[in-house]
Amino acid sequence: MSEATSAVELAGTVQARPLTEAQAGIWYAQRLAPENPAYNTAHILWIDGDLDVAAFVATANRAAQEAPALSLRIRDEEGGPQQWEDADYRPAIEVVDLGTDADPAATARAQMRADYLSPVDPGRDRLAQQRLFVLGPQRFAWYLRVHHLVTDGYGMALFSERVCALYGAADAGSPLGPLAPVFDEDTAYRASDKRVRDAAYWREHLAGVPAASGLGPGFAPPAAEALRLVRPLDASLRERLLATAARLGQPWPDLVTALTADYCRRHAGVAEAVLGVPAMGRLGSASASVPAMVMNVLPLRVAQSSAPVEEFVRSVGSAMTRARRHGRYRSEQLRRDLGLVGAQRRLYGPLINVQPFYQPLLLRGVALRTEILSTGPVDDVTLGFRGDAKTLLDLEVEANPSLYTPAQLEAHGARLPAFLHAALAACDAGRSLDDVPLATPAETEHFLYAVNDTAHEVPDTTLVALYEAQMAATPDAPALEFEGEVLSYAQLEQRSRALALQLRAQGVGRESVVALALPRSLELVIALLAVQRAGGAYLPLDLAHPDARLARILDSAQPACVLAFDDAVVRFPGRDVLTPAQWSRDSAAALDADVQPQDAAYVIYTSGSTGEPKGVLIEHRAIVNRLEWMRTHYAIGAGDRILQKTPATFDVSVWEFFLPCLCGATLVVAPPDAHRDPRAIAQLIRQRNITTLHFVPSMLSAFLAAPDAQGLSVQRVFVSGEELGAELRDRFHATMHGELHNLYGPTEAAVDVSYWPAGPDDRSRPVPIGFPVWNTRLYVLDGRMRPLPPGVVGDLYLGGVQLARGYLGRADLTAERFLDDPFVPGARIYRSGDVARWRADGAVEFLGRSDHQIKLRGLRIELGEIEAAVRSAPGVARAEVMLRDDRLVAYLQGEGGAEIDEQVLRSHVAARVPDYMVPSAFVALADWPLTANGKLDRGALPAPAVQMGESAPRTPTERELAALYAQVLELDAQVGAEADFFGLGGDSLSAVRLLMEIQKRWRCDPGLGALFATPTVAALAALIDAQPAQADHGLAPLIRLAPEVTGSTPLFAVHPAGGIAWNYRDLARALSPARTVYGLQSPALDLAEPLPESIAVLAADYADRIATVHAAGPVHLVGWSVGGIIAQAMAVELERRGREVGVLALLDAYPAECWRAEPEPTPVAALRALLAIAGYDPEAHPELDTRERVIAFLRRGDSALGNLPEPVLDGVVRAVTGTNRLVRGHHHVACAATVLHIRAGRDHATRPHLQSSLWAPYTAKVEAVELPFLHAEMTGRDAVARIAPLLSQQMSRHADVTKGNA
Amino acid sequence: MTNAVPLTLERMRADIAKALDESPEIVTDDENLIDLGLDSMRVLVLTTQWAETGIPLQFSDLAAHVTLAGWWEVVQRLQAGSAAQK
Repeated sequence: MSEATSAVELAGTVQARPLTEAQAGIWYAQRLAPENPAYNTAHILWIDGDLDVAAFVATANRAAQEAPALSLRIRDEEGGPQQWEDADYRPAIEVVDLGTDADPAATARAQMRADYLSPVDPGRDRLAQQRLFVLGPQRFAWYLRVHHLVTDGYGMALFSERVCALYGAADAGSPLGPLAPVFDEDTAYRASDKRVRDAAYWREHLAGVPAASGLGPGFAPPAAEALRLVRPLDASLRERLLATAARLGQPWPDLVTALTADYCRRHAGVAEAVLGVPAMGRLGSASASVPAMVMNVLPLRVAQSSAPVEEFVRSVGSAMTRARRHGRYRSEQLRRDLGLVGAQRRLYGPLINVQPFYQPLLLRGVALRTEILSTGPVDDVTLGFRGDAKTLLDLEVEANPSLYTPAQLEAHGARLPAFLHAALAACDAGRSLDDVPLATPAETEHFLYAVNDTAHEVPDTTLVALYEAQMAATPDAPALEFEGEVLSYAQLEQRSRALALQLRAQGVGRESVVALALPRSLELVIALLAVQRAGGAYLPLDLAHPDARLARILDSAQPACVLAFDDAVVRFPGRDVLTPAQWSRDSAAALDADVQPQDAAYVIYTSGSTGEPKGVLIEHRAIVNRLEWMRTHYAIGAGDRILQKTPATFDVSVWEFFLPCLCGATLVVAPPDAHRDPRAIAQLIRQRNITTLHFVPSMLSAFLAAPDAQGLSVQRVFVSGEELGAELRDRFHATMHGELHNLYGPTEAAVDVSYWPAGPDDRSRPVPIGFPVWNTRLYVLDGRMRPLPPGVVGDLYLGGVQLARGYLGRADLTAERFLDDPFVPGARIYRSGDVARWRADGAVEFLGRSDHQIKLRGLRIELGEIEAAVRSAPGVARAEVMLRDDRLVAYLQGEGGAEIDEQVLRSHVAARVPDYMVPSAFVALADWPLTANGKLDRGALPAPAVQMGESAPRTPTERELAALYAQVLELDAQVGAEADFFGLGGDSLSAVRLLMEIQKRWRCDPGLGALFATPTVAALAALIDAQPAQADHGLAPLIRLAPEVTGSTPLFAVHPAGGIAWNYRDLARALSPARTVYGLQSPALDLAEPLPESIAVLAADYADRIATVHAAGPVHLVGWSVGGIIAQAMAVELERRGREVGVLALLDAYPAECWRAEPEPTPVAALRALLAIAGYDPEAHPELDTRERVIAFLRRGDSALGNLPEPVLDGVVRAVTGTNRLVRGHHHVACAATVLHIRAGRDHATRPHLQSSLWAPYTAKVEAVELPFLHAEMTGRDAVARIAPLLSQQMSRHADVTKGNA
Repeated sequence: MTNAVPLTLERMRADIAKALDESPEIVTDDENLIDLGLDSMRVLVLTTQWAETGIPLQFSDLAAHVTLAGWWEVVQRLQAGSAAQK
């Protein structure tokens, strides 16, 4: 036993000893999250029948006596936390009679809920509680709540079983086992070679382990209460499970674990998953019959397998056997071994917990039903199987509500049993798990057919027929506007027909291709129509492309001719070029092209991943569907004015060009290059009354950042071409008025195949790409082309009438991407190469190209997730993240070009994504490089600069820290005081290394959060230097309440009776940053310090302390209550030392003689002084009459005072009683300073003699002020709002007087 | 009451090895079977198998001392008891 043991007073049978490894993990986790009640485990046993209450109470109390773990107390000692048994803490059962309550069960449930959802401080509170609620003559509820520190679920069951066995039994049977041997076992294991071997095994086994992932995306700390779902598994599944297990000769728990593991892996969409398998650790152990915390979680690696299920199950079974051999090694330790630091870097994803030995509890003569309330914190999800599988097997799902919805839990409750059924069938048929679909048959049906039920009648015709009809219907309406010129529909018809006839004469007809190399102009639109009216397909070319690329495209497409302006003719040597000057402008002849729906309408080249452009050929029927859908769905009509600003080479331009001619609207053609100029676009919208336009999200972001976009109003804005971020959607609605629609589709499927209304009320994150358009199908499929259930990431396939015919002249590429639809005979689908998942409502979420997903040090990272985190920071207008040289770099732009503090930003991001996803560099950009299509040109983003810092380190801590930076980051150069750890190339991994070095050198851990917030050498050094003050919980005799300001006279605030000066924080904050404010706290708080003999001695002590921070010059003093008495005595002492006292402010304080006759406070009354310090009126809470109640009250009120360590509470009691005694013996002497007395005007009704004038004998002058507050409120926020200006004014006036005298 | 072949030390060794997917040599008499990876469910399966040889073996008999030698002692005692009953 350690030395600390002897210092602790021993009680009970378990003597003080350190926590076991299993307990230590929970202790520290609870300490890190003191407000989280998730470590409370609890259950209810609903009892129906004739319960003998007295006998049951005796039984429950006897069992509690047999289970010393439930009476453990824990306390932090020098050498670490110690625990011992305290009979006073034994959970004697409390009987609560609710027999007269209107709804006793609901009331009992509410009380239990309030109990187990209240955080427990294991250093102070009882760790176990049992209550028997009497709900009626025949109905009871037995409630048991135990902190996970002292027992695990198995121990809870042992205890409950023991109570049930004892109740009404003639023979007491075997008692629960003793606890001490359980602790001995842990001590022995810790010192054993076995532990060293186990550590080595795990290190080797877990080399290169993949990152943990849950059934869905994201990480979140465990919530106070997990979601729970229980689904009994049906007999056919249980029978099949047992039969298959018997056939394989494998225990059924291993079989169900193996299959469930693959279920989890498939949801995570990874090749290998790490699951957690709880191990009860009872077999062959001293803990076999002891309620205690013993259970461990063993990591289980499960990789994708194409082998027969049987083989897979055997291999998982032997992996579990091997794991059990080393199963005593704690998983918390394993995480530390692997450097998995922080809540977001976990060792395993979902837990799979099979409890085959579970048997329902039985209590003599009554009916019993167990209801589990809480089994401890759930990081992600726990898939539990409880029962023997013969008579019963319950699937129990527990999930973190921050990551899962109840509906998702319901879905798993149906999907997992279906998967197990199918997997067992596959096993019996000798097939592999690859053959088992993840979706249930109902989900398959729904996500193949119901969500794609988009059949809609569209005339089987051509674009040409549609716009020719419109031209004939509204000949005089304006069709086209460009830089002041307007063409009517009749003129457009005339000119396009003339050119079409000319092209016909040159041999252009059905299936011909004509290239257009025209900038935005009237001629461009005329040419598009003319080519189609001649029967051909147009091929747009971008003259900004290099000649070589243009040549490759023309060689591939073999156009009949090229339409271009004069200046571009030289770009097409050897080609037949027709310039507008040569175009025929007028003709009376009719066209005879006879264009058919299956004819090619246009060919657009897209860049191929290999660099060779691919020509996508779209037929009339496909684009007619797309345009007719859009016209109808958005009710676009003759009144609309549509902006044409998208380059013709980008297929979004197709609807801009043609939609107006389908409905008699006007097409407003933007000047060339206007599409990249936010100001020009804003001007066009305003001056030309645009109703409808399109943006690529990158451009929309830039547009919204421009002042000209503010307050703009349009009917509707479409976005597509890139992912629409939720922040951008929100910024759109905050900036301008209009509908926002997110569209999605590749060139290969006629512009867009899905739509999502991203209106101002849309809160979706991410913004979905939405639902399929008319006559269109969306599939999210796995690698075996099977539909996936909602929430699971897969490949997005597109089907329906809009698919392209294929790639021009590339049957090979066409065959690669356009496949037979496995679900609709005779139809085709297109493999989009995009990654997506269904939402439960049938909308699709786009998750990026697979190449936007990166891997950094083996961790899967979605850059989009980091981008979303950066964009959510205040002031960030736009952000993009990319991986450069193995570093994550964030590029960003502030709103209105404002600068953003990198450290603030880093802290913001660190609060939202796992530490390894925090970019190591943030680069502010004023301009975003764009490609010709207006998308972000990632390749052109600048590399981040390395900042070494210019000024040399100054203090010893800074010098040592700078050296550590260089050492950890392996830098040769000298690191400056202002150098930023992350600016130097630090990342989360090196950050952890740095923190370990700091821990070694300074014995303090500022934490990763602090490093993110203060990453410079100077700032971090300051933090390290300040650490000792923080380590003592802010209880030092002198604390700084407001930051230091040079040149102003500091204010010292003297503690009230409780000895703590935290109550002055509001006042200090109100006076900051103009003035430094210090708090003086009682030395009596530290039990090791002797009590001062008198107020005069105390005042002298405080005067000494003032001198340590402010050696000379005047000081201001403020004191509330007892603090005022001390402050006046300090004024006397300071003046005696020749120091000037400026303002002496006494907040509702009265001279010592007023208190001489008052009785001395009891310890509880003393502790109630904390209530006043926390800002409550102690008089209003007479019910807080025990230490526990006072503390519990403070904690509920979120006061830091509720978390004071036990010895400090003793210190508070001593300070109050000690100081009160000193006050009674104090006789005031007059001081020269003026007293500013502020009286609590709403108080003292029973003591009207308490007046400001009582101070008159002890000061040169009293300035009396009365404010309408209670005594207890004098340092609270409302009073401070009145007092701070008063004090501030007095202190400044004093400064003026002093200057005037000088 | 049964004609089953009486349980032997070597058959127990072989059964344990099979449950662990290991060769019998690894199951020495005094090795802690937990350290070999045995779990409650497998112990239960072994209990049932061995009880079929005609001894009133129970899970709790095996849960206490988890070595082959310890188990063999229990089995021998039960076998002696069963023989006395005949």
